[in-house]
Amino acid sequence: MGYGKEEKALIWLDSFSLDYAKKAAALSHARDPYALVARFSEDKALSGILGEEKYAEMRLTLSDGGYLRGLLASYEKKGIVCVTCLSALYPEELRAIPDPPFVLYCRGRTELLRERRFAIVGSRRTLPQVMRRTEEFSERLGEYFAIVTGLADGGDSAAAEGALKKGRVISVLAYGLDHVYPECNRDLLRRVEKSGLAVSEYIPSQPPKKYLFPARNRIIAGLSEGVLVVSGGLKSGTRITAECAYSYGRDVFAFPYGIGVKSGEGCNRLIKEYAKLTDDLVDISAVFGINLTEKEEESLPPAEKKIVDFLSEGAAHVSEIARAAGMKESELAPLLVLLQMKKRVVSCGGNRWAKA
Amino acid sequence: MLSKVMSFALVGLDGVPVVAETDINNGIPSYELVGLPDAAVKESRERVRSALKNSGRKFPLSKITVNLAPADIKKEGSAFDLAIAVGILKATEQLTADCGGIVFLGELALDGALRPVTGILPLLISAKAAGYTKFIIPSANQEEASYLSGVETYAADSLSAVVDHLSGLNPIPPLPVKAYRSGGEREYKFDLAYVKGQATAKRALEVAVSGGHNILLVGPPGTGKTMLARCIPAIMPDMTFEEALEVTKIHSVAGVLGAEGIVDMRPFRSPHHTATTVAMCGGGSRTVKPGEISLAHHGVLFLDEMPEYHRSTLEALRQPLEDGVITVTRAGGAVTFPANFMLCASMNPCPCGNYGSADKVCTCTPAAIRKYRSRVSGPLLDRIDIQVEVDSVRYDDLAGGELEERSAEVKKRVEAAREVQRGRFGGARSNADMGEKEIKEYCPLDGECEDILRMSFESLRLSARARSRIIKVARTIADMAGSERIRPEHILEAVSYRKYDNMA
Repeated sequence: MGYGKEEKALIWLDSFSLDYAKKAAALSHARDPYALVARFSEDKALSGILGEEKYAEMRLTLSDGGYLRGLLASYEKKGIVCVTCLSALYPEELRAIPDPPFVLYCRGRTELLRERRFAIVGSRRTLPQVMRRTEEFSERLGEYFAIVTGLADGGDSAAAEGALKKGRVISVLAYGLDHVYPECNRDLLRRVEKSGLAVSEYIPSQPPKKYLFPARNRIIAGLSEGVLVVSGGLKSGTRITAECAYSYGRDVFAFPYGIGVKSGEGCNRLIKEYAKLTDDLVDISAVFGINLTEKEEESLPPAEKKIVDFLSEGAAHVSEIARAAGMKESELAPLLVLLQMKKRVVSCGGNRWAKA
Repeated sequence: MLSKVMSFALVGLDGVPVVAETDINNGIPSYELVGLPDAAVKESRERVRSALKNSGRKFPLSKITVNLAPADIKKEGSAFDLAIAVGILKATEQLTADCGGIVFLGELALDGALRPVTGILPLLISAKAAGYTKFIIPSANQEEASYLSGVETYAADSLSAVVDHLSGLNPIPPLPVKAYRSGGEREYKFDLAYVKGQATAKRALEVAVSGGHNILLVGPPGTGKTMLARCIPAIMPDMTFEEALEVTKIHSVAGVLGAEGIVDMRPFRSPHHTATTVAMCGGGSRTVKPGEISLAHHGVLFLDEMPEYHRSTLEALRQPLEDGVITVTRAGGAVTFPANFMLCASMNPCPCGNYGSADKVCTCTPAAIRKYRSRVSGPLLDRIDIQVEVDSVRYDDLAGGELEERSAEVKKRVEAAREVQRGRFGGARSNADMGEKEIKEYCPLDGECEDILRMSFESLRLSARARSRIIKVARTIADMAGSERIRPEHILEAVSYRKYDNMA
């Protein structure tokens, strides 16, 4: 893929792991990226902006074209495409945020950046029944949107899994594309890169760091027309994503939770403040004027229906379900597994079950 | 003069004949013991000397040479004391009776009393097989020996009694042969009737025991996993005499045999998680002693908090779980011990233990849970057919006056299911032992079952390796229901015992 000279200048600038503020200051000082490179050696004021050492280091790489050629070759070898903020592929919504990333390092189907995008995020501690629901929402919304999410365990993974069925997922990473975090999602990331898109604002060699995640969340929000928060405690990172989305004027949706569910307190707080309570696909589709309704649930035999009806009152222990259904626990086990396969109930551990 | 007296030495679980040859010569008084004796055998000199003296006999002031033949086997322990003492008495002509064909076993006390030795039963069984029919053993070992028929066993409590018996002064009557109680109620300390609630786990235990499947109990601390596990021996079918003898042999060699002399209840072994691989599988510096898995032969090996065990110890269980025997190789030689046990393991669902709890909050991240679970390797989990959750007991369950089913009732059903399997395989094999070929032969699945199985793999993300295990467990459930064919509900229940695979 060919880059324009201004884009090349941006990629060059971005490759030095500078603070966002320094990069922005340098660019605004030089007015346009190519000018920055062209006059880099003469412009001593840049040394003040970037720091003397960094300035010297950067200046050295300009002596011939080898550095940039090597850089671009290495990206190409890794299958990484740089979408700069000057590129036509760069989403308008993202450009509109106060601090848009200069370069998006992408691996996968970059054309997903041209589609409508919607974010689904969740915390690592997400209830099994919510995981199931998230996956379903993600799959259905994937008919109209490319689903933007992170790659964490729990809610993010469920969203990615669901959207992967339609191959329309954009995973925004908080570290370079050379890395995987968490390790257990290596396979998930591989599948995302194959049929979806992995995006990062950091150079490929940037390892995961705690402080990078909040900054990443602004990209998730910035890329999307709306954000659905499926789970999150009061201190969850999903709150940052929601705050960003709200401040960018995007729609924020959240699943409601019952009293005392720690993994949902953040969602309830969002609903109190500005998020739209969402327990049906229509809550989202109505806002975007698309036609999405809950799938008609297939009818169940009476015994199975009784179980599902009982569980719609809330999660229950096997013995309670057995009592309600008038069965022995051993007779109940096959039915519960059958319902689990039909995706109507989920196991919450400890022999407890919930409606999916 | 030269004398020869028979004894037996223990090698693994077998006895090998040892002749104690005693020669008395004129010369400077000395006592020479040859034939690769260890320290305990060498020290027999002092015990034999004092025992002879204190029994009113003479220890000759001559040059004594004792050879334990064959000279190339290492001799261990104190069981040769009696044979050596009798040999000296004969060589000095203090005893003139014929001792040919009699096997002497026993340790001497300084006052001439006979002390018990380990491994009497395997020694006698080997001796009988080698054609010996007369044994003189310490009376403390008589319970153990009395289950052997077709031999004359004399139990003596002192050297004098042995001499009086041999010389005909005061003959000891041979031990009456005890009949093995094959039926009848055995009093197990733990009974399912005392476990309140936990219907799911109890059912899983019943399935596991019926088909000889290994089981993993997953649940928070304090939910009765250990209690449930301890109930397993009581619902297993009674041991046959042959099985009991096998187990008794092992326990006798290990020196853990109780006063009753025979192990007639299924053993329950629960080694602590700090146990070493040697403690688990058997070993030892010179003689090889059976480990916990052999002591659990025909019974239950319970690993409480399985992820806490050393990884290498757990991995060492894989081969015995497959083969039912363990071959321990040491410098002294290789010994094969039987190790056909049912594995029952327990673990917490997550590091904090509260995953799935109704009222407590689990503070573990999914990554932490995965890390905890990965301490148990996949290949080992592969050998555990049934995984079931044990959940926290609620106060109502404990306080409720409802009467729970007794173990004896469950056992009857287990025996019925085992009967079906005996008809199928002949012999003592169970459904869990089926190979791929037998699964094809005995577990045909109709279209409906195949569909359900495929659906469960797709929707529950089970590993492909779980397939044959699910079918084997379904076979057992069908046997319990008295069904010739495996039906969809059997498959579904078997799938429900893959909890660990599709958790989190």
